[in-house]
Amino acid sequence: MTRPARREPQEAARRDRRFHGEGPRQTRGLWRIATGPLIWGGHFLVCYWIGASWCAHAGPGAGLGPASWGVAAATLAALVALGFAFRALRRVRGLSLTDDDLVYEADDPEERRRFLAHVATLLCVVSFVAILYTALPAVMLETCR
Amino acid sequence: MTEPQAPALPQAERAHPECQDDPDLRAAQEARLRAAWATPKGWRYLTAVNNTEVGLWYAGSALAFMLFAGALALIMRAQLAVPENDLVGPDFYNQAFTLHGTAMMFLFAVPIFEAVAILILPALLGARELPFPRLSAFGFWCYLIGGVFVCGSILFDAAPDAGWFMYPPLATEQGGIGADIWLLGLSFIEVASIAAAVELIVGVLKCRPPGMRLNLIPLYAWYVLIVGAMILFAFPPLIAGDLLFELERLLDWPFFDPTRGGDPLLWQHLFWIFGHPEVYIIFLPSIALLAMMIPTFAGRPIAGYSWIVLSAMGTGFISFGLWVHHMFTTGLPSLSLGFFAAASEAVAIPTGIQIFVFIATLMLGTVRRSVPMLWSMGALAIFVAGGLTGVMLAIAPFDFQAHDSYFIVAHLHFTLFGGMLFPLVAGIHYYYPLVTGRMLSRRLGVWSFWLCFPGFVICFLPMHLTGMRGMPRRVWTYSEGLGWDTLNLVSSLGAFVFAAGFLVFIWDLIRPKGEADRAPRNPWKGGALEWLQEQPPRSWGVRCVPQVSSRYPLWDDPDFVRDYDAGRFYLPDAEEGRREGLVTSVLDAEPEQVLRIGGPSVLPLGGAAALGGVFIFATFHWWWLTAISGLGALVLILRWVWTGTGEHPEKPSKSIGLGREAALYVSGPKSTGWWAMFITMLGDLTAFLGLFFGLFFFLTVHEAFPPLGLPVPGVVWPMASLGLAAVSWLATWGGRRANAAGRVGAFRALLALALATGLAAAAALAWGPWAAGMDPTAHSWPAIVWALVLWSAAHAGVGAIMQGFCLVASFAGRLTPAYDADIRNTEVFAHFHAFAAIVTAVAFAAFPEVREVAP
Repeated sequence: MTRPARREPQEAARRDRRFHGEGPRQTRGLWRIATGPLIWGGHFLVCYWIGASWCAHAGPGAGLGPASWGVAAATLAALVALGFAFRALRRVRGLSLTDDDLVYEADDPEERRRFLAHVATLLCVVSFVAILYTALPAVMLETCR
Repeated sequence: MTEPQAPALPQAERAHPECQDDPDLRAAQEARLRAAWATPKGWRYLTAVNNTEVGLWYAGSALAFMLFAGALALIMRAQLAVPENDLVGPDFYNQAFTLHGTAMMFLFAVPIFEAVAILILPALLGARELPFPRLSAFGFWCYLIGGVFVCGSILFDAAPDAGWFMYPPLATEQGGIGADIWLLGLSFIEVASIAAAVELIVGVLKCRPPGMRLNLIPLYAWYVLIVGAMILFAFPPLIAGDLLFELERLLDWPFFDPTRGGDPLLWQHLFWIFGHPEVYIIFLPSIALLAMMIPTFAGRPIAGYSWIVLSAMGTGFISFGLWVHHMFTTGLPSLSLGFFAAASEAVAIPTGIQIFVFIATLMLGTVRRSVPMLWSMGALAIFVAGGLTGVMLAIAPFDFQAHDSYFIVAHLHFTLFGGMLFPLVAGIHYYYPLVTGRMLSRRLGVWSFWLCFPGFVICFLPMHLTGMRGMPRRVWTYSEGLGWDTLNLVSSLGAFVFAAGFLVFIWDLIRPKGEADRAPRNPWKGGALEWLQEQPPRSWGVRCVPQVSSRYPLWDDPDFVRDYDAGRFYLPDAEEGRREGLVTSVLDAEPEQVLRIGGPSVLPLGGAAALGGVFIFATFHWWWLTAISGLGALVLILRWVWTGTGEHPEKPSKSIGLGREAALYVSGPKSTGWWAMFITMLGDLTAFLGLFFGLFFFLTVHEAFPPLGLPVPGVVWPMASLGLAAVSWLATWGGRRANAAGRVGAFRALLALALATGLAAAAALAWGPWAAGMDPTAHSWPAIVWALVLWSAAHAGVGAIMQGFCLVASFAGRLTPAYDADIRNTEVFAHFHAFAAIVTAVAFAAFPEVREVAP
């Protein structure tokens, strides 16, 4: 995969000014770092709900059957969503303005944008692992018991 | 709204205000600041609201409750030292362990976070104060009154005794008022926690010094932001649970009674949805102290700033997916257990990352030895051990074996001591000079550590084995010869060694200190902003609000302290004799407003006392006194809002120095008040979702819910309520817009309409179940319906009070098209309330209908 071109600072600054208000919408760079964990959370809740309601109605001895498929579908959907989030973040993200590293300590709005995108990307990675973990029980277990 | 951003200030320009070179001017400025920020004397000291006073009271009270709970622990350890001991009876023992857990969790661990944050956060952000000092004071008084009430009950042999998580049916069926004291006292303290969360989140988002962009803020502030958000999503489900619990105890509504369609597991879910994140709410802010200390003592910036932010965020999120690991033995399907076991393992990843970042920072730097580092290292050792047993317990089959045994007691104390207490003591050593101007003794610090650390290990390490040998927790005594005797004796000895060490630390805190203990400026040679502070500390907080351009300005900028001392940054003066702080934008900290901050007032204390009366009198069912107290609280709080907020400034803006101007009045999303309302309502929404979770939970445990044959509210009345709620919402929104456009008459008419339709919506919502004859004591279905009606009606009432307030304010000339903060904030409330009201109405109508069509 080739690295996407880095956003030009001027363009970023212009965009930034456009969003330089104070409501939740304008500060969305901040909220966006929660994207990965929110996908994980949604996936987790859906899996829990599928498992709990299937096993509550099918009884303790029942096979997982449809519940496993449900979890698999939810996992696939979550991973696709995570992939899109990751790709969008990669486009914003770049190395630090100062030393081409991952320290992000320059005093510049563009640097702040990259920092938030970097944290968001890392959180996508953690969420990816956590989603796979969550899906494992549906693969390894056979019955509701 | 797109004012051009002022460019970041170049270094050379900072020295620009030459007038600051005049020593007479500077002295006059300092005198004005001193007068504005003076601490009240005499009895009026109790009306102080400044973070330095309130934070100190908060921390002192939390430590006092901690000593109380620790004394209970020592009584328990003395009782368990030998088999078949009769030092205390089982009834007292039950009260002791319940209060020990309750006080340590709710009265020490969470409040000490709030206390420390209130004390040091303004200094870390180069701010004079947090945005709502009176709210902090209110929260503190709530906490103190509630805490004394809960703990004092043991003196009357009336303390709660069903364990700190109060499982029904024991806790709902037992007589006495112990469980009520627990419920009401803690609900009241939760109010304090949420108040602190609002204060701290807004503080981090809006009160940073100019230039402190989100990539430059101190790591502690990131943790505070994340923990504040966690409080908002973790505490409200417990408040919802408390409400259901008290309704069951007081009015016999059977939420947790399986004979009438309830389920005790619902409580366990609601409690642990709160309870597990709470562990991280305790842990993260303490580990945050390490993130501030370690760079100082390693003499270099933290290695991996963004990894710390990632790990705190990741831990914060994943901690919400762990709660069922407290319920592994309740017979849930293994698939569900698997999901929670997986998440419990996954949380170790982000938690581990921050530990590795700390170790990496220490390895890359040159470490200086000090008492805070000693405690930090002890913390890491203990926490890693506790974390490893946590990974073991996350595996469900192992948990089946260890559940409710002393292994659990050992595990949780390892995580809490290593993750919370030891870092906290390190932090107190580190920040003591910042708060008091004195140093703690190095000798006593080393002594206390070398008593506490081995004492702790001797006490709790053997408990793993005691638990593996089958000793259950919470037993008041045990028979001889089960293989537990020696282990328990060793544990008890260790407990007393630890206690001795902790008393040395406490003595060090409170002993009188002379000139020899006086702290120099920046005693640890730190690079972070808080070490700017002059010694001894001044009541004004900071001399001026600095312009920041790096994470460690004291290390990076040689002229920083000199310019700061000369008042060459923002707000070096209090020209109007007012307490002022700088409000900046969320992302890049551009100055936006000079906020006039509330000074000493008796209203927070009075409001907390009156609200405390409501909870305390309700415990004893003294309804008249409860009502009077409630009315008193309402009057005091309205008076506080009317006199203490949204004042019209004498001029639209003022100069803040360095050639910049900032507005004195803002409303809407730029203002701190709007954010506080938004954040409070997020918490409120979570509580509503907690109640709503109950509805869905009952759906999964019943064949059909609502069960066939039970009355239902029908479709007509819920839909009428929905329509009225929508009208009320739109009228509030339209009214705000009309007011902004200058059509004051239309604004008042719309607001009156919103008020009337809002109340009518609640009445219509209640009329459906009432007309259908739904009896809340008959079954969990009518009970949860009525609980949701109560919730909606209470919110409609609050909404009506706010709308009425705005109407009166409009007629009184307080609320005008230019000064519209009141209605902007009311509008935020209306958005959230409309969502809850509409969802409730739809659920009432839809649940029975869905049941009809489902197979």
